[in-house]
Amino acid sequence: MRIRPFDYWAAPGLAEALNELDLHGADAKVIAGGTDLVLNMKKKTILPRRVISLHNLNELDFVKSDDSRVRIGALTKHADLAANPFLKQHLPILCEAVGLIGSWQIRNVGTIGGNICNASPAADSAPPLLVLNAQLIVASKTVEKKIPLASFFTGPGETALETGQILKEIVIELPRQRTAGCYLKLRRRKAVDVSLAGVAFQAETGSDGKTLAKVGIALGGVAPTPVRAPEAEAVLVGLTLDEALTKVSDCAKIAVKAASPIDDVRASASYRRTIVDVFVHQCAQKVLGTLKNGGGN
Amino acid sequence: MRVPINITVNGEEYHLEVKPNRVLLDVLREDLGLTGTKKGCGLGKCGACTILLDGRPVHSCLLLAAQADRRQITTIEGIAAEGPHPLQAAFVAKGAVQCGFCTPGMINAAKALLDANPDPNEAEIKLAIAGNLCRCTGYNQIVSAIQSCTPSKSELQTAERGESNE
Repeated sequence: MRIRPFDYWAAPGLAEALNELDLHGADAKVIAGGTDLVLNMKKKTILPRRVISLHNLNELDFVKSDDSRVRIGALTKHADLAANPFLKQHLPILCEAVGLIGSWQIRNVGTIGGNICNASPAADSAPPLLVLNAQLIVASKTVEKKIPLASFFTGPGETALETGQILKEIVIELPRQRTAGCYLKLRRRKAVDVSLAGVAFQAETGSDGKTLAKVGIALGGVAPTPVRAPEAEAVLVGLTLDEALTKVSDCAKIAVKAASPIDDVRASASYRRTIVDVFVHQCAQKVLGTLKNGGGN
Repeated sequence: MRVPINITVNGEEYHLEVKPNRVLLDVLREDLGLTGTKKGCGLGKCGACTILLDGRPVHSCLLLAAQADRRQITTIEGIAAEGPHPLQAAFVAKGAVQCGFCTPGMINAAKALLDANPDPNEAEIKLAIAGNLCRCTGYNQIVSAIQSCTPSKSELQTAERGESNE
């Protein structure tokens, strides 16, 4: 499969990359790991005239944390996130999800920023980042902006990223109280398979350790973009863990309303809805059970 | 347009000028004659083109050659540079090779696994080669070949041999 010719430039730093992007506008496409872009160029679905490579920008390959938040550079590879000791301890749901992306080969090259900007409705990193209320730092030549991930996805393959902007980093506030989370992904193969449906569920207790102060539920692969299910979250927020465990079925049924799946070659819309119901139920049982038994992070 | 790149392949440095639209797999096979790396799907699904980039397994079919600039690359030829690697010997001994098309990619993934984790369990082995398709063997022989290169398994074999000697 041949790739159409294009001009190529490897940026030595972020400032240079932003300058170059400003110069070429919509003619230029930014490449990080390239596991999506190169594939799309082979399939001729994206035909950029100029490609600006970010692979030398080590300044965007990091996981940094302080007491209140963790910052993840956009060029951090999935394999490094999945194995990061700090994230495994504090935000294991994210490690779980990115550890399911593609194959080992893909995770060694693909980046979290690329996964977000490619904006696949089924992107595995999206549901956990949504329930963690991730914020994106987006830079252009002149200005830096903070965009909540929840308003970043605008359609399949489409984002709020404007011409000339590059996603720099992802910021996640660390939970104050005890949390537990779970990500479930339905696929036909155990590797290298796009998610038919994915559910992320994250819950945080109040200071008493017995009530649910925060609940996050997000769905992937069942709508034009990854989505939160706020009505389903509201069913559980404020309840004690024991009460919440009796409401799991209601919560799962209501979560299905946030889905607007399509029929395609991989699965029917109604099957995807059923899976959302089942997965939210399973996630909730597991997470609430963990919190009730004094587990979690 | 051509892009100058410096890459180290199996310990040898190459200064090349490559067209930006070429992937590393084609440069390895066509320009450097290293045809041990196989071209399967070309879409990052089959793993036949797996090479080691700075020691980590990656698909060379999805990596622009230009993006490999200043990186260390190991292909199956490099793994076998000083005679068959223990993994290669194990693949032969366990019958893990039939048509052989997936083998270079499998060996590379397995080598990266054992370099990072010398004593993986079966689940870890299966996870490491999950991105490599084999349409002949059904994977059992491949998993057992990789297992036979782990210390716990070799100790087991030594123990078994010890018992039979008594």
